[in-house]
Amino acid sequence: MILVLAAVPVAAVLGILSFVLDEIAMDGRLTLGIGEIIWDKSKEFILVAVPMFILLGELMLRAGIARRMYGAVIQWLSWLPGGLMHANIGSCTIFAASSGSSVATAATVGTVAYPEIEQRKYNERLFLGSLAAGGTLGILVPPSINLIIYGLLTDTSVPELYLAGIFPGLILAGLFMTVIAGACLYKKSWGGVPVRTNWGDRIRTLPHLLPPIVLFTAVVGSIYAGVATPTEAASIGVVMALVIAAYFKSLNVKMLLEAFEGTMRTTAMIMLIVFAAIFLNFVLGFMGITQAMLNFIAELGISPVETVLLIVVFYLLLGMFMETLSMMLTTVPVVFPIVMSLNVPEFSDVWFGILITILMEAALITPPIGVNLYVVHGIRDRGGKFNDVAIGSIPFVVAMLAMILILIAAPEVATWLPTLVYH
Amino acid sequence: MFAAIHARLEVFSKYLVWIGGASLMIAAIIVTFDVLSRKFLGVTMSGSDEISGYVFAGSTTWAYSYCLLHRSNVRIDAIYNLLPRPVAAVLDVIGLSLLLYYMWFMTKTGVLAFLESWELNSVSITTLETPQWIPQLFWASGLVMFFFTLIFVTLYALVALLQRNWDLVGRIAGVPSIEEVVEEETHGVDVMEDSRARGA
Repeated sequence: MILVLAAVPVAAVLGILSFVLDEIAMDGRLTLGIGEIIWDKSKEFILVAVPMFILLGELMLRAGIARRMYGAVIQWLSWLPGGLMHANIGSCTIFAASSGSSVATAATVGTVAYPEIEQRKYNERLFLGSLAAGGTLGILVPPSINLIIYGLLTDTSVPELYLAGIFPGLILAGLFMTVIAGACLYKKSWGGVPVRTNWGDRIRTLPHLLPPIVLFTAVVGSIYAGVATPTEAASIGVVMALVIAAYFKSLNVKMLLEAFEGTMRTTAMIMLIVFAAIFLNFVLGFMGITQAMLNFIAELGISPVETVLLIVVFYLLLGMFMETLSMMLTTVPVVFPIVMSLNVPEFSDVWFGILITILMEAALITPPIGVNLYVVHGIRDRGGKFNDVAIGSIPFVVAMLAMILILIAAPEVATWLPTLVYH
Repeated sequence: MFAAIHARLEVFSKYLVWIGGASLMIAAIIVTFDVLSRKFLGVTMSGSDEISGYVFAGSTTWAYSYCLLHRSNVRIDAIYNLLPRPVAAVLDVIGLSLLLYYMWFMTKTGVLAFLESWELNSVSITTLETPQWIPQLFWASGLVMFFFTLIFVTLYALVALLQRNWDLVGRIAGVPSIEEVVEEETHGVDVMEDSRARGA
């Protein structure tokens, strides 16, 4: 813990912790095999989905589809009270369906939407909040990099997780839009100058929505149809993204090399930690530490729902200070067995994957460390206080909390679709 | 001298990343063909999954050095950001040293795994019967390159620290500022290029 706070690279902390535990319990025998263990994991086909989905996102980011898409979503959604802010949420949801990253989603939609604040006199805080919050949908709506990693750490089926993420993602987007509409009905001036739309334009711009929707259907559809595994679907997605970029004439060597750099940097960053976490998991499994923790929790004698609520509070607090991926990698190996030991059939592995992803989304927009807040703040070329983004995001955090309560009260929201398809 | 080597390493690691990325893209194309031919022609080119696994393993370790030189290692900066620059610089060097310690074991056992496959000439238990030392050579060489880059960067940061050049330590080994992170994540992507559709 001290090492983590001292900003030692997370991979080193996890790795050294494993060494120490191994030394105490087994005279360092497992450490001798770390190379073999990690090589075996390194070449696993399911893991290849991680860089493929990252590459897919990097290509889509550069394919030049964002502005057209935003323009089309404006036509369809901006009649609601709150105008373009609904288009922000809508565009984020659609973009999230072709990207697995929340940062990329917020940055892309944010860059396109930002100039509208001044042009149409929106309440800047709420508008920025809608971008930061909308962007977080990137990790809930499939494809999602976080859900793949959760699946890896807990041996949960990634296709089922993807299926489970769709409805909560749409409900959460709906809650965000309710927040915006509510706020703008309460104070009309927040809603900005309305955009003129008509049915002719709505129909005409419809094709601009096609690239992300086609991509989503192909990637996610091929998984559900049983045609492809997640890795294969991601590969198909990469090829389609190349075709889309070529169609919009943005495919060139420079763009590809940038996409490669972005992909490999993120992949290396994630995998260095994932491998250390896998090794730590391995050592912990040998030592039976997890079992000791479970006994401890069982002796506390609190009800399953109370335990889950405690976990939610724990993650909300942790999320204020930690970056999401490292938070997940360091805690899931311990927290997941606890949730499974509750023995509540509704609180399944898939369900918990969705719950924890929404908690990660909250972590992305809760200060002081909320990556999406910084991303949105970073695109403000007219400057302003960081607090504007943080305050504007508060109503959306409330919407997320509501979503979490819905998920605990009615776990079926997440689980009925995968159950329908797979069982 | 240090600065010159650092710049060279940066360029070199970028080439490695380009090769890794391009290999992944090619793997994606091969896998797609495999899926399509399996679905529509009923023909399976076996092995595309195995090969893409090797590509992934190799390209990942090849990208470690780039990741390090771009200071993209995940570190928790909640407290770090509040510290005065000299203290943060000391933490930078400590962090690097601990990463070096961890990677020493990883690299050593990784290279041993490669040498063992080489000597025993072990092959994969698949139809391809790939001699394991071939993909392991790429994988382990990435680890070795990362290890040496890590030694260099740690030394460079240590020298800068002893010279009390805090800014330099930060540029070599510090946690990037948020502006830098956003810049890296998006590469200042120009989403404006779509001007034709602006009227929509």
